Amino acid sequence: MIQKKICMVGMFATGKTSLVQKFVYSRFSEKYHSTVGVKIDRKQVEVEGTTVKLLLWDLAGKDEFQDVPASYLRGSGGLFYVVDGTRRETLEQLYALHAMAHETVGDVPTIVALNKKDLTDQWLLQRDDYDALSDRGLYTLGTSAKTGEGVEDAFLWLAAATIKS
Amino acid sequence: MTDDGNRFTLEGPLDTYGMSHVGKVRQVNEDHFFIAAANKALTVQQTNLDNVQAFNHLKQSEAHLFVVADGVGSIGGGRLASGTAVQALGTYIGRTMGCYYSFDVEGENEFLENLENAVQHAHLTVQREYSSHGKGPATTLTMATLIWPRAYIIHVGDSRAYYLRQGRLRQITRDQTMGELMIDEGIMTEEQVERSSLSSTLSSAIGAEILPSVGLIDLELNDVLLLCTDGLTRHVGDDGIADILQSAHSAKAACEQLVDAALEGGGRDNVTVVVSRMVSAEDN
Repeated sequence: MIQKKICMVGMFATGKTSLVQKFVYSRFSEKYHSTVGVKIDRKQVEVEGTTVKLLLWDLAGKDEFQDVPASYLRGSGGLFYVVDGTRRETLEQLYALHAMAHETVGDVPTIVALNKKDLTDQWLLQRDDYDALSDRGLYTLGTSAKTGEGVEDAFLWLAAATIKS
Repeated sequence: MTDDGNRFTLEGPLDTYGMSHVGKVRQVNEDHFFIAAANKALTVQQTNLDNVQAFNHLKQSEAHLFVVADGVGSIGGGRLASGTAVQALGTYIGRTMGCYYSFDVEGENEFLENLENAVQHAHLTVQREYSSHGKGPATTLTMATLIWPRAYIIHVGDSRAYYLRQGRLRQITRDQTMGELMIDEGIMTEEQVERSSLSSTLSSAIGAEILPSVGLIDLELNDVLLLCTDGLTRHVGDDGIADILQSAHSAKAACEQLVDAALEGGGRDNVTVVVSRMVSAEDN
């Protein structure tokens, strides 16, 4: 069986933990808990006839008090960035996080989840934003940890990408 | 402490101390704690090699293990459960700690799985020794394994792990109670849980049903790691804990002050604390 370490990376309160909880335990909580350090979960998936054990490292989000330590990223087989579609700054900060992560782990498969897609009336991202992500070679997918939309697809896409890389 | 060019390293033993008190109400102390160090050392006894210094880094490989457990059960049963769990955990880790030296991704994952297996072993041991039809005593268990600078945390129940950095206290673990589970599942609101007894009912406990939570954090010099049972946190708030950890001049002094504060707050439960300051004992 193949094991892949996947790091969940993004600004605080973008929904990294909620996405993992939805994917692994099929549950969603409205209550916000700030992750401290790294929370680790595992899930085994089948992609293209291969069993992959995903080690999901849910990293504390970057905020005014803390950066994302590069030491947590080492050994990652894939990066799962999370942007809150209702907070533009979480996209703007993503580019700096991506630069740091790229320097640490190199060119590993990467996905950007544009999360909180259920909050359509508060959505702030536009066509130009998607184009900018695409221009940087970042694959994006709309997700909602609340409704489950795109969650499974995002993790399975990344799992498949990691075994091809 | 020294700066090896890339990161600071600790020299000498960590300043660590643990303390447990029965409290002012309970007759039996059902808490246990455990502090241990594992060394993987190669001690050169005799050689004609020129460069014996090359082996020095092997002496510095050291893991520190900190555990607190809070037993739950009929009279005396909780004490047996927490004691058995800690004993089984320590024995298992003592037998299997060898893999901690390898830290590529596979090695680290294997190490984490080993720690989880140790918790599972403790769980099965408690069940085997005391449970009859799932009604036996149970225990919380919060374990930190420090391989500087990384602390691996495995957690079951509502004992807690915290760390203090530059005066700011952060709770690493989340309480595994029915109340938190109800909130997470969207079945109850926080207000409803507060009005119920679910906030003190464990959803995960060694000897009953377990769903260990696994995490880690990279510590820095001068951070303080605290493991404690709820006998502390039901009487002393985060600010009080932070003040004590910040001002105490040693891990022992911090433990004494934390226990005193819990007793002054009422001491309605057993109280157990393990404090580890990320300074060399030699720096005190």
